[in-house]
Order: sequence, then structure tokens, then C-alpha cells
Amino acid sequence: MSAPVVPRPDAPAVRTGRRSALVLTLASVAGLMMFVWPLLLDPGADDGQRTDAPFLFVLILPVVIGVVVAELSEDGMDSKALAMLGVLSAVNAALRPLGAGTAGIETVFFLLVLGGRVFGAGFGFALGCTSLFASAILTAGVGPWLPFQMMCAAWIGMGAGLLPRRVRGRAEIAMLAGYGVVVAYLFGMLMNLAFWPLLAGVEVPGHDGSLAYVPGAPLLENLHTFGVYTLLTSTAGWDTGRALTNAAGIVLLGPALLATLRRASRKASYGVRGTFGDRDHGPDEGSGPVVR
Amino acid sequence: MTGATVRRAGLPRDLHPGAWWLWALGLATAASRTTNPWLLLLILTVACHVVVVRRSDAPWAMAFRLYLYLGLAIVLLRVAFRVLLGGDTAGTVLVPLPTVPLPDWVAGIQLLGDVTAEAVLAGLYDGLRLATMVVCLGAANALANPKRLLASMPGALYEVGTAVVVALSVFPQLAESVQRVRRARRLRASGGGRVNAVRTIVVPVLEDAFDRSLQLAASMDSRGYGRAGAAPRRDRAVTGTLMVTGLLGVCVGVYATLDGTAPRVLAGPVLAVGLVVAAVGFVVAGRRVERTRYRPDRWRLPELLVVASGVGTAVVLFLTSSFDPQDVYPSLTPLTWPPVATLPLVGVLLGVLPSFVAPPPLRTPASGSRATEAVR
Amino acid sequence: MIRLVDVSFWYADTDVPTLDGVGLTIDEGELVLVVGRTGSGKSTLLGTLNGLVPHFSGGHLQGRVTVDGVSTAERPPRELAHVVGVVGQDPLAGFVTDTVEEELAYGMEQLGLRPDVMRRRVEETLDLLGIADLRGRPLRTLSGGQQQRVAIGSVLTMHPRVVVLDEPTSALDPTAAEDVLATLKRLVDDLGTTVVLAEHRMERVVPFADTMVVVRGDGGVDVGPPTDVLRRSEIAPPLVELGRVAGWDPLPLSVRDARRAAGPLRDRLATTPAPSVPELRGAEVLSARGVVVRHGATVAVRGVDLDLRRGEVVALMGRNGSGKSSLLWALQGSGARQGGTVAVDDAGQQVDPKRLGPRAARRHVGLVPQTASDLLYLETVDAECAAGDEESGAPAGSCRALLDRLAPGVVGDRHPRDLSEGQRLALVLSVQLCAAPPVLLLDEPTRGLDYDAKRVFARTVRTLADEGRAIVVATHDVELVAVTADRAVVLAEGEVVSAGATRDVLAGSPAFAPQVAKVLGEPWLTVDEVAAAVGAVP
Repeated sequence: MSAPVVPRPDAPAVRTGRRSALVLTLASVAGLMMFVWPLLLDPGADDGQRTDAPFLFVLILPVVIGVVVAELSEDGMDSKALAMLGVLSAVNAALRPLGAGTAGIETVFFLLVLGGRVFGAGFGFALGCTSLFASAILTAGVGPWLPFQMMCAAWIGMGAGLLPRRVRGRAEIAMLAGYGVVVAYLFGMLMNLAFWPLLAGVEVPGHDGSLAYVPGAPLLENLHTFGVYTLLTSTAGWDTGRALTNAAGIVLLGPALLATLRRASRKASYGVRGTFGDRDHGPDEGSGPVVR
Repeated sequence: MTGATVRRAGLPRDLHPGAWWLWALGLATAASRTTNPWLLLLILTVACHVVVVRRSDAPWAMAFRLYLYLGLAIVLLRVAFRVLLGGDTAGTVLVPLPTVPLPDWVAGIQLLGDVTAEAVLAGLYDGLRLATMVVCLGAANALANPKRLLASMPGALYEVGTAVVVALSVFPQLAESVQRVRRARRLRASGGGRVNAVRTIVVPVLEDAFDRSLQLAASMDSRGYGRAGAAPRRDRAVTGTLMVTGLLGVCVGVYATLDGTAPRVLAGPVLAVGLVVAAVGFVVAGRRVERTRYRPDRWRLPELLVVASGVGTAVVLFLTSSFDPQDVYPSLTPLTWPPVATLPLVGVLLGVLPSFVAPPPLRTPASGSRATEAVR
Repeated sequence: MIRLVDVSFWYADTDVPTLDGVGLTIDEGELVLVVGRTGSGKSTLLGTLNGLVPHFSGGHLQGRVTVDGVSTAERPPRELAHVVGVVGQDPLAGFVTDTVEEELAYGMEQLGLRPDVMRRRVEETLDLLGIADLRGRPLRTLSGGQQQRVAIGSVLTMHPRVVVLDEPTSALDPTAAEDVLATLKRLVDDLGTTVVLAEHRMERVVPFADTMVVVRGDGGVDVGPPTDVLRRSEIAPPLVELGRVAGWDPLPLSVRDARRAAGPLRDRLATTPAPSVPELRGAEVLSARGVVVRHGATVAVRGVDLDLRRGEVVALMGRNGSGKSSLLWALQGSGARQGGTVAVDDAGQQVDPKRLGPRAARRHVGLVPQTASDLLYLETVDAECAAGDEESGAPAGSCRALLDRLAPGVVGDRHPRDLSEGQRLALVLSVQLCAAPPVLLLDEPTRGLDYDAKRVFARTVRTLADEGRAIVVATHDVELVAVTADRAVVLAEGEVVSAGATRDVLAGSPAFAPQVAKVLGEPWLTVDEVAAAVGAVP
């Protein structure tokens, strides 16, 4: 048999139907609001205690993530996808401590990007969740930040799966590296935004000139303060370090890893069903993607 | 309750991990409702005491110290922020410092400035609150066995739970695999610098891991994984509708909670209803497959008491913060000594109950497994 | 119990069927031995029994497979889990959980059994397999044999009527393999479970197999009682080959049968000159004195002396953990060595490979590790060969030339992981031989090789030695040692317990004697020797 010449788009490891897409979208909207809450918050007329919102979100976000993941697995996660999910999460969890302690070297994302790219958006979302969860369990790092990190990582994996499928070769590596840089900064900004009021404090009357959050201030004003806050605290160190790690990881190891992942994906032949019959020759052309 | 059950309840065993988590979340919630340093310190003491008395000797139990360090770091960071970016604030000046204006693009932000007692205390109180919550979660981490927790995941999360279990068991194999390949690499003496070095290790390790994952999948399939897993269309429609509706409710609810101008009925109630509906969808989705648990963790009296103590603490502080806010939110302007009221104090002390009612943990007997591993 | 009616199977991308018109009936309580070369379709045949083929593998199956009256076309493997239990080659890869007890319970959880039933069955199974003392242990810390027994236990708890095992002992040392096979025999004898077993070490199973299935490799199978099938089979254990040479009928399946039939042959051989191997007197290339290797608190190698001469093949034997691998790594220079000296000859000078860099060390001593594929990291065979040339500073194409010699016809653009075990071993050998080391160390090279591949490998080793290399093979495979090695060294607890000419070391030992020696006594080791002697007499 001759090998196929045209690169075939990767078969998604987890099928995502229209309902799954809807659930994903709604959960993402809800999740995003919980990240950017300081910009949305308008204390209105009544009590002033609503800056406690993130404490509430720490409890809501896991439910939202749980619902999405339940929906994804119900819509079609077979044993092959599940085993792959487990193995890749373990690899990610193993990669993570490599960067710990070194400013900004965050090694968990580049494989997440590559995995999402090869195995599809639904798988990428689940991989983001399970990777961070497994790593948190292994290092006993479960804390209020975990649901937020899981959500972010899930978006990163999902986004990688949504990038244009046809791009291959050098262009693909360039695209993924660019994506890696963008998500590195976005991740830093979103995490900062959600925890900004908790770490930099909330503006109290009679006290100004800080990087603190002012509930109910005009959007641009808070955005500006936050911009300065994140620029000063994270962008130069953590975020840039993360972006560089992502880009370097993808450019240097990407081609080899993509080939390895694609081989694994082909071998697992996701979504291919065995056929039975009484015909006296092999399967017809349409019964499944050509393997090897 | 007979004497026999009492004695049985006191035998060493692992408490249901869910009970520990609910207790810890209760304490954390209580901490989120106050900035009173006395109460926060008391919560910290309670959490530390229970951990010391009731943790096992498993590795996750030993990580508790890290959470304490992290808590300390949070407090220091908060105070440092206040001092560094203090600007000009009115109040009791502790250390007079000049203000350093910054360029235009960061307009409105000033470095240093007089260090006031109000600013330092505000940072301290806020930092202590976050630190206490982190330590409470750390306590849950130290007390609950994460693997048992995965085993008691709701049915709808069974698949993902299994993936995490797989990840946890594959993890140590990866480390061995990396070591083996690294050793082997020297035999080939491949050049090409560090990138190539990483590649020569990562690629064989991953290939190996993926081959294993396929074998694992085959093994799971032939051992009945996902049996009767395909839900009827109608059930799928029901769970799907419940989940979508629930999430819609959550979206609206979250927005309304944040936007004070929205009708209040859209905030709390809609959010709660959304969560409940989503949770029902979740439970229904989990019921589709008939699976059972081997030696499941059961909810017995000690579990219930532990949960009750955590929830009790949270409820008392919730009530106090609604009725006597000055007891739990000490005033900074004017600067006063934080008050110590009886009710919240008793409430927090409720949380120490587990150190008496929870059964002592199982300790692993020293086994020969390490030695055999080293020999192999 | 199981019926295959006119079954053919095509993998998704091929026109050539892997199975072609296979018919097979397996009755309740039978022990069926499935043999065939690697890649002959043995695993595919086993996969059809519970529907993994084609439900899991993809591809097209024609014909009908029924298990306990149910067609696999109607039920996916998971719905057959309580009828057919499947155990794979590498137990560790198939474990879902991480402790013994949880693993035994996993399948039952999927079946939805009641907790009290599960508890009872777990206890029964722990006792049945004699692993009760391991119940709480992490699976990773068990020995290979224990792991495989847990894997068998994990399907037994579901009370399947058929247990299918795909080469369960190929990764085990002989003692562990005996344990596992004894367990299987017990299942058949005591529980009446139907067992379908693919196994390279036929000689261990043939005596108690009821039916033997030879997968020919052209899609067809040969089915019948072992004595009948073995008469025609290309692959056969040494005992059967001996029987063929001697013209015994029926063919002996156990050493006991053979000894009873061997009287006349023994008399005849007594009159022929004993086989003799010419003394080898090559130049010494490696000399090790008092080598000590420690891993933490355990001493792996305690003061071992070893001299290697050009042109000889030395077998390194001993149970798992006796220090074979540690010794090889220490000799190569990459592994740890806490004491003693290793000297290799470098143009008249004596040098210690440990002092040389990795690049120089491998020009003197080449090592193929236990998991040979650890050395491969590129996407095609050609790329690996090119990298091999570059690493060794050899002219382009030399690695490929070596590969073509060792294993002709390996396609250059294949992925190294897709090669057969034998081809992959040949590729790694070529990469290591490219540096032209006078000493070559092989750590358990024949794991997972079938009879044919082993025969080819034995020839290769002999040729490489005859070209003037010194070769050390660490192995459990007694028959391989009998055929290839000039000298044998037996290690126990890091010390040399016996060393000398292969014939002296093997023939007298109850543990290491090859089958031919067990039947005919000293000095006969291999069928070829006997054939030569018998052929010479008439």
C-alpha cells in the first residue's frame, strides 16, 4: 500500500458535538466573567462587601469545570482517549516541577499546546484540566488558585485545537509558537486580574496612589491601574519567561513532538470503527482513515 | 448507639476525604468572612492543631509546611505592597518617607510615601485572611487521601477521574523511563548540543508512554470499562438541557452578582438555581452507568461530626458578619484595637472538634518494598 | 465455548488479509497453545476472541466469531468482559490503578458487582494466586512475575469462562515464567477455566496443552493435538527437533517422555566421538579485575574478574538481580563502578573506558541495553543510520551497510518503532557496531524474539565473533547459550559462582542444562551436534 501523500487533518480524540460546543461556550463565558470580575464589578447602592466575590467563585468554578468535563466525557471519550489523557497529564505533571523555582520557566504549557493541536479542542480542554489537577495532587498544591489555573489551562488546550487545521510544516510551528507566546501573556494577565484585588488590595477611601483596585471605578481607569500592576509585577519576569519557554519549547522540540504525537494518534485511530461483513474483500475506501 | 459501635468508630482508619474537605472549606469560608486578626489567628491555630493530631505519615501529609510558608509569603507581600506603593495617606505615621513620583504613563501611582499604621494594618489583615484560607485548604490537602478522594468522585466525573488515576500511576513510571533513556543515551554518544540531548530523551520516553497508553486502553476495554456507557438519546437530551440551563443561570447569576445595578433577584437566587440545576444534570449524567465501588468510604458518625464542625464555624461567622460586622471587620479609621467577641470565638473553636471525634489515621507499617525496588 | 467460522481479517490499510479463512473450535476447559512467528497474526487471532479485533483495532472482519454463543459482532469487548478475560504481554502497561487490591477489584467495579461480592472474590483470588501478602503493595514495586500474576488475578475476579493470554512470560526470567505457567496449569486443572495461551517458550507448555494452533503467517492456521501439529510445524522446541532427528514416534513432549525413548540413541551416541569445540586463543581485548558496583546500600557486583578475548562469545547468566546488567554497564564505562579496574586495549596501550569520553568509550566497548529501543529517537530507519554514521565518525552509509548484512530488506523510511523485534535489535546493533568496537556487550538481547529470530540472532553473534570481536551476552536463555557461547559465567548475588567452557558449566547443572543435555546427558548440548553425530555414524 502506498502511503498517503496529502497530510490529513488530525482526527479528534474526543468527539465534540453541537451540545458540547454550547456547554463549552457557556462555561467559558461564565469562567471568563469570574476572571475579569474586578472590571465588571459595580457595587451599586447597597453593601460594599462584594469584593469577596472571588471567594464565591472559587466554589463555583469547579462546578462549571466539572459540568463541561462531564459533558465532554459523556459525548464520547473512549478508553483510548482516556488512556492518552492520563499519560499526557502525567507527562505534563512531570514537566511542571522542572520549571518550578526558576523565574518564569513554565514548562507545562508547550506540550499542552501541542497535545491540543494534535488531539483536538475537546481533548485539549480536558487535558488542561487533568494536567493541572494531577500536578496539584502530586505536589499537594490544591489551593484557591487551582480552579482558575485549570480553567486557563483548559482554554489554552482548547484554543490550540481550534487553530486552523490545514497549516503544516514550518508554518505550523511558527503559528503554534506565536500562539504559545500570546497565551503565555494572556494566562499571566487573567490570573493576575482575578487575584489582583486580593494581592494588591482594595482601595479604601482616604488612601490613594497605590496599585490597588477601586471597586466601581470607570473601566478604563481600573484597566490602566491593572495594566501598570501586571506590567510591574509579572510581565517582565514571569510572563515573559513563560512566553519564551513556550516559544523555545515549540520551536525546538515541536517538530519531533508533533511527529510523535501524530504517530500515536494514527496508531490509536480515534473514531475508527471495526467493521464486520460477508464481503470477500477488504474494507471499502470510506470506512476509515488510512493508517500508517 | 451501642458500646461496640463506639469502640469501632475509634479504631484507626482513614476518614472520608470528602469530610475533611468540607470541614476545611467551612473553616476557609469562615476566614473569608472576617479580617479580625485574633479570629484569623485562632482559625490558623485550630487548623494546625487538627492537622498535627490527625494527619497520617503519607507524603501529601508532609507538604503542610509549604502552605504555612506560602501563607507567610502572602502576608509579607501584602504589607510590602502597602508600604512600597503607599503614596500619601492620612493617618498615624510610623515611618516618614518621601514620595517618589512616577512618570506620566503610570499617572496616579506613587512609590513609597509615609508609612502609616493604617496602611500596614490593612495589608496585614487582608493578607492574613488570604493566608488563613490557603492554610485551611492546605489542611485538607494534608488530611485527605487524594486517591480516595478521586475514588469518591461523582459518577459524571468517573472518566476524568480515571484519567487522573492513570496519570498518577504513570507518573513514577515516567521518571524511571527517563532515567533509563538518559543512561542509554550515553551509549550512543549522540552530539548536537542540549536541544538534541533533550530530544533524544523526550522522544523515546514519549513513544514508550504512548505505546503503553494503547495497551492500557485495550486492557481497560477488555475489562469492561465503559460498559453500558452509551446513554439513550432521551437521557442525553435531559442531561444536556439541565446542564445548559444551569450554566445559563450561572452566567446570569455571576454577572448580576457583580453588577450592583442589576435586580437583586438575578444575583443570589438565579446563581443558586443555576448551580442546583447544573448539579442535577451532573448527577443524572453520572447515574447512567452501573458501576460499583470496591471498599467504598462510607459516611459514618465521625464524618458527619467533622463536617458539622466545619459548617458550624462558617455559619456562626456568616451570622456575625451580617449582624455585628464590627466584631469581625475591625475598624481602621479610626484606628482601634480589634475587639474580641464571644460568639465568633466560640464559633471558631467549634472547628477544633475533629481532633477529638475523627478516628486516628492509619499509619503505614514499614514495608520491604523500598528495599526490593532498589535491588531490581 | 469459542467458535471461529471462516474468519478473515484485514487491517485498515491493507489488501492482504492477516487472517484468512480461519476455522477453530475451542471446547470448555481446554488449554490451547497458540504459536507462530512474531508478526504472523498470533496477537490478531487472540484479539478476535473477545472482539478487540476489530472493535478496538479497526479493520474489517469477515466470518463469525462466537464466544459462549454470543457473536463478537454484536457485543463490544467490554460487554464480554465477564466471559473472556485478556492478559497482555506487559502487565505493568495494562494496570489501571496502583495497588494490588484495587487492581483486582477494577474489573468487578466495571461490572457493577455488589461491594460484599467484590470483597469476597478479591480475597479468594489473592489466595488462589498466592499473592495475599502483596495485597496493599504498589504494583510498580512488584517483580515481573508477581505483576503478571496480579494481571491474571485482575481478570479472574470477574469469573471469566475463558482466559486469553498473549505471551505472558516473554518479559520474565525463567523462574518467574515457571510461576506464571504453574498458575495457569492450576486454573485449567482446578477451576476448569478455558485457557488460550500464546507462548514462545513452547517447551514449557506443550506437555499439558490439549490443542495447539500454529499461526502460519500466510493467514492460515494449523490446528490439532500437539504431537500431530509439531510433526509438521516449522517451529518446534529442541526436544521435538531431537525426536525428529532420532525418528521417535510419538514425538516426545516432555523431558520424561524423551528420556524413556532415548535409550537406543544414547547407546548409538556412546560410540561416536564427543563433540568438541576448537579452543579459541585470540588476543585479550578487555581485562577486568575486582569490579565492584554499588547502588546505594545494595552491592550489585562484588569483585568480579573477567577477561575477554577476540573471537569468543561469553554468556553471562544468573537470576534477575544477580548483577548481570550492572557488570555490563561497568565494563562499558557508562555505568557506576566503585572499585576494581577495567582495562581495554587501545593500540597497545591499556586504557580504562570510564576515563574516556562517551564517544571514545564506545569505540572500544559497545553496549546494547535491555530495552534496545531506548537508543532510538528518530523518525525513520535511514535517519537513525545517518545519525549512527555521524556519531561514530564512520563514512556515510556504513551503518546502513551493517544493517543490510544483519537484517536484509529493512525499509529505510519505516519508523523504527514499527519494525519487528528482530529488525529493531539489528538496527540498534548496527548503530553500535558502526563505531567498530572490538568488544560488544548485549544485555538480554533475545527477550521477545521468537525461535526463528533467535536462530538468526545466534548466527549473527557467531559471525561477529568470528570476525575478531569479543562478545558478551547476558541472558536467561539456556538454549541460546548452548548454541552460541564458548564460555559461560554464572553470577549470583554479584559474585561469580561458576565459570568455564559452556559445556562444562551447562551440562552438569540442573538449573542451566539445555533440554538435549537433560535427555542425553553430558556432553551433548544441542540438536545440531546430535544430528551431526548421528549423520556421521550410519
